[in-house]
Amino acid sequence: MRRPAQNHIVVPRRTPRRFYGHGIPKVELERLAGRLIVVEGADGSGRSTQIAMLVEWLEGCGHATTQVGLKRSTLVSEELARAQQGNILSRTTLSLFYATDFADQLENIILPALKAGFVVLADRYIYTLMVRDMVRGMDEAWLKNLYGIALEPDAVFYLNVDPEELVQRSFAKNAALDYWESGMDLGLSRDMFDSFMQYQILMEKAFRRLQVTYGFTIVDGMRSAEEINQELRKKIGAVLAGK
Amino acid sequence: MKTFSESNFPGRLIAVEGLDGSGKSTQIYLLKRWLELEGLKVYFSEWNSSELVKAATSKGKKRELLTPTTFSLIHATDFADRYERHLVPLLRAGYLVLCDRYVFTAFARDVVRGCPPEWVRGLYDFAALPDLTFFFKADLEVSLQRILDGRPQLKYFEAGMDLRLSTDPYESFRIFQGRMIEQYLAMSTEFNFLVIDANQLVEKQQALIRELVAQKLDLEKFRRADRPRPRGGSSATRTGSALSRALKVEETVE
Repeated sequence: MRRPAQNHIVVPRRTPRRFYGHGIPKVELERLAGRLIVVEGADGSGRSTQIAMLVEWLEGCGHATTQVGLKRSTLVSEELARAQQGNILSRTTLSLFYATDFADQLENIILPALKAGFVVLADRYIYTLMVRDMVRGMDEAWLKNLYGIALEPDAVFYLNVDPEELVQRSFAKNAALDYWESGMDLGLSRDMFDSFMQYQILMEKAFRRLQVTYGFTIVDGMRSAEEINQELRKKIGAVLAGK
Repeated sequence: MKTFSESNFPGRLIAVEGLDGSGKSTQIYLLKRWLELEGLKVYFSEWNSSELVKAATSKGKKRELLTPTTFSLIHATDFADRYERHLVPLLRAGYLVLCDRYVFTAFARDVVRGCPPEWVRGLYDFAALPDLTFFFKADLEVSLQRILDGRPQLKYFEAGMDLRLSTDPYESFRIFQGRMIEQYLAMSTEFNFLVIDANQLVEKQQALIRELVAQKLDLEKFRRADRPRPRGGSSATRTGSALSRALKVEETVE
């Protein structure tokens, strides 16, 4: 990986920030000097690989980084995992539980890190949460209000991988399909393989619907990790330069 | 937002709202006892009581991890769990559901904590409104005294200490609860609160509540199949007798 010389460290340019909706009370947006970069995509789409490579690159370029992801909050991550094991939560409850997890990380990690000038890499953001709920029939306007607390990121990349390829990757890793990633709770099919394929297609459709509103970049995730990362680096480089 | 009756549920929901220490829990307990003893299908649900969510809430409170936004969301999660798993199915089955606090607690509390009112209302708009809401209006000093009688110290969030209104918990409680009353009163007309003077004696309040419930709901509809209506004229599920019973209580009080 080519690294720029020390005296070429790019100081990020300030750009106006906004929340999607009402936001978090008492946050001074102009003080959030850092950058928020989101990587979205299904399990097996290569999100964590890409984020790990981006951290290497960003740190090499002299940027401080921090990472967040779903179900990682101090407040509710354990309880959320436990509730999911038994599949006993109804949809609004699960949705709000995830929103709590997100809000906790937003206020305690993302916003303070941005204030300190860090580049925050989010392994999934509100879009996955919204899309999951949308395919389960939740009201889109309700979801938009709920996630009006979220800060608009500087860049959102959606790693698009065919369901056939996702299955292969999932088997190569675990030799099993995940219950939730197969959308088994939706009752699409009793056959887990069928359900997985149908669910992933529904999810992709919903992502494309959100893309119209939230304007994220769809990245072809079928290429090599290095090729994909080059594309991400180029786009993030532009974001840091304030373009 | 519509009530359960307007949404064509066979069941009816009665909620009590008011400050901590306003005596609303005592009153709804007595209402529940009456309805149960009359042989009606009754279910009681309390704010912040869902087993699943409780662990996270108490951890958040104990370690002071909660911000206004997460405080709001975690209570909404608790409410949704009880709503979807208990309240809605029971109301579909024709139950009388009694709730110690309902969405109005969030509407008042979260807004006092600084959350945008439209956002909070939006969070809860999956829920139908109660068919009857009793609001217990008590003087601040009376509420404060009632809480202190029960336990030696005010709790951190109850006193609104997270809002940094004052370093003195009692002063903070007064300011916080004062703001809560303002929010409640502002909602009173919009949501048809039945305002109960909570400075009155327990029996007097209960008599009025029973009278209003018997007047506004057709209680016979909620009778349990295994508890047929008693013969003779003693059933309080008919408005007339409930009224006389209510009046009788009042007589003994005075």
